[in-house]
Amino acid sequence: MVYYLILCRSLTYAQRTAAALERAGIGSHIFRAPRAVAGEGCGHCVKVAERNLARALQVLKRAGLSPKRIFLTEGTGDYREVQL
Amino acid sequence: MIYLDSAATTLQKPPAVPRAAAWAMSHLTTPGRGGHPPAMGAAETAFRCRQAAADLFGVPDPEQVVFTFNATHALNLAIRALVGAGDRVVISGWEHNAVTRPLHALGAEVIPARAPLFDRQAQLDAFDQALKAETKAVICTHVSNVFGFVLPVEELAGLCRRKGVPFVLDASQSAGCLPVSLEELGAAFVAMPGHKGLYGPQGTGLLLCAAGMLPPPLLAGGTGSMSALQAMPDFLPDRLEAGTHNIPGIAGLLEGLRYVRARGTERILRHEQALVRRAAARLSALPGVEVFASDAPAEQAGVLSFRAAGRDCEELGEALGRRGAALRAGLHCAPEAHRSAGTLETGTVRLSVSAFNTPAEIDRAAQLLAHILRP
Repeated sequence: MVYYLILCRSLTYAQRTAAALERAGIGSHIFRAPRAVAGEGCGHCVKVAERNLARALQVLKRAGLSPKRIFLTEGTGDYREVQL
Repeated sequence: MIYLDSAATTLQKPPAVPRAAAWAMSHLTTPGRGGHPPAMGAAETAFRCRQAAADLFGVPDPEQVVFTFNATHALNLAIRALVGAGDRVVISGWEHNAVTRPLHALGAEVIPARAPLFDRQAQLDAFDQALKAETKAVICTHVSNVFGFVLPVEELAGLCRRKGVPFVLDASQSAGCLPVSLEELGAAFVAMPGHKGLYGPQGTGLLLCAAGMLPPPLLAGGTGSMSALQAMPDFLPDRLEAGTHNIPGIAGLLEGLRYVRARGTERILRHEQALVRRAAARLSALPGVEVFASDAPAEQAGVLSFRAAGRDCEELGEALGRRGAALRAGLHCAPEAHRSAGTLETGTVRLSVSAFNTPAEIDRAAQLLAHILRP
């Protein structure tokens, strides 16, 4: 399954991100960023389904929450950065 | 035991507070330290606590709510963000050592804006006169921890905004019983303990930071974020929260915040003020007792000081304690306040209440004092 990882600068930022998405009815899940994407070491990301990314980005923009980076993955361990 | 020392720490807590703290001890670990359920559960609790505090205290973003060990820790962070050696800082004449000692340690030029007790207009005028262009910060307690005097902090914050001076509010005695809003005040920082009027466990405190404020950390260490870098993160709250969080305390504090929210700060304040007025009336009737009470009830929160002619206040406090009433005597870590009120030599005995005290407890404490003072 294809999904996106929104990399956040901190756990609290990830929680704010997930809370904003939840308020907009977009399901998401916070988890620790895979080592392959957490460039500066330990980080957290918010996982959203492929179909929700565009709306999620709109919601986050309105909430003033800018994602640090976004990665696309198919759950195979490969992560491809998506240019915003 | 009649507990009347809530200005130090509230002892009676809502039952959900110790329950949550005990549950956290055996179910939650630390936010950001692992992706397993105990760590993520701790993260959820911490976030809910930040959000609850942000909602109650007018903070736009929960990232601006920093967990500290107490209000002193929070004040140290705020002060170090704004003040350096030789800087001019204006404070009220009612400040706690949690404000004055960090300023002294930094070598700041401290200007106390002194005014008579319970005179809000004079207090404001004193600040107005003391504020100069070169003033680096104004730091003011919302409520005197010795006398319960409610300072005109909304007006003072307005004055600071007009003069472009950063304002730091010490809400140690007001958080939980008076309206406090970081945003409405336009304050740079608001510091508060979790273990007083927010009914959380000891070892908890909050620093509310205005947008853009990024104090230097007092502690450096692990934050569970950006671990490959040796510099502390340049964002809140991680920058100021090195090391393992006090999650049992935070879980308890969350329940305390929920209690305050559900009961309402206005209702808590009315209750506490009624108790203090009752205490003032009972104690004033005792021969030789001098009570520091305001004529205007709105100017005094749930704290009342008194002293008895010819009696050492520490001995009185001790005697009351032996008879089952817990009151604090002495200088209450606030020599500035006693200097302002003219009680520095004697100190006072302080009675301070919480939402859980009753009129009967006040009457009983007054009876005990009457018994002690009987010749």
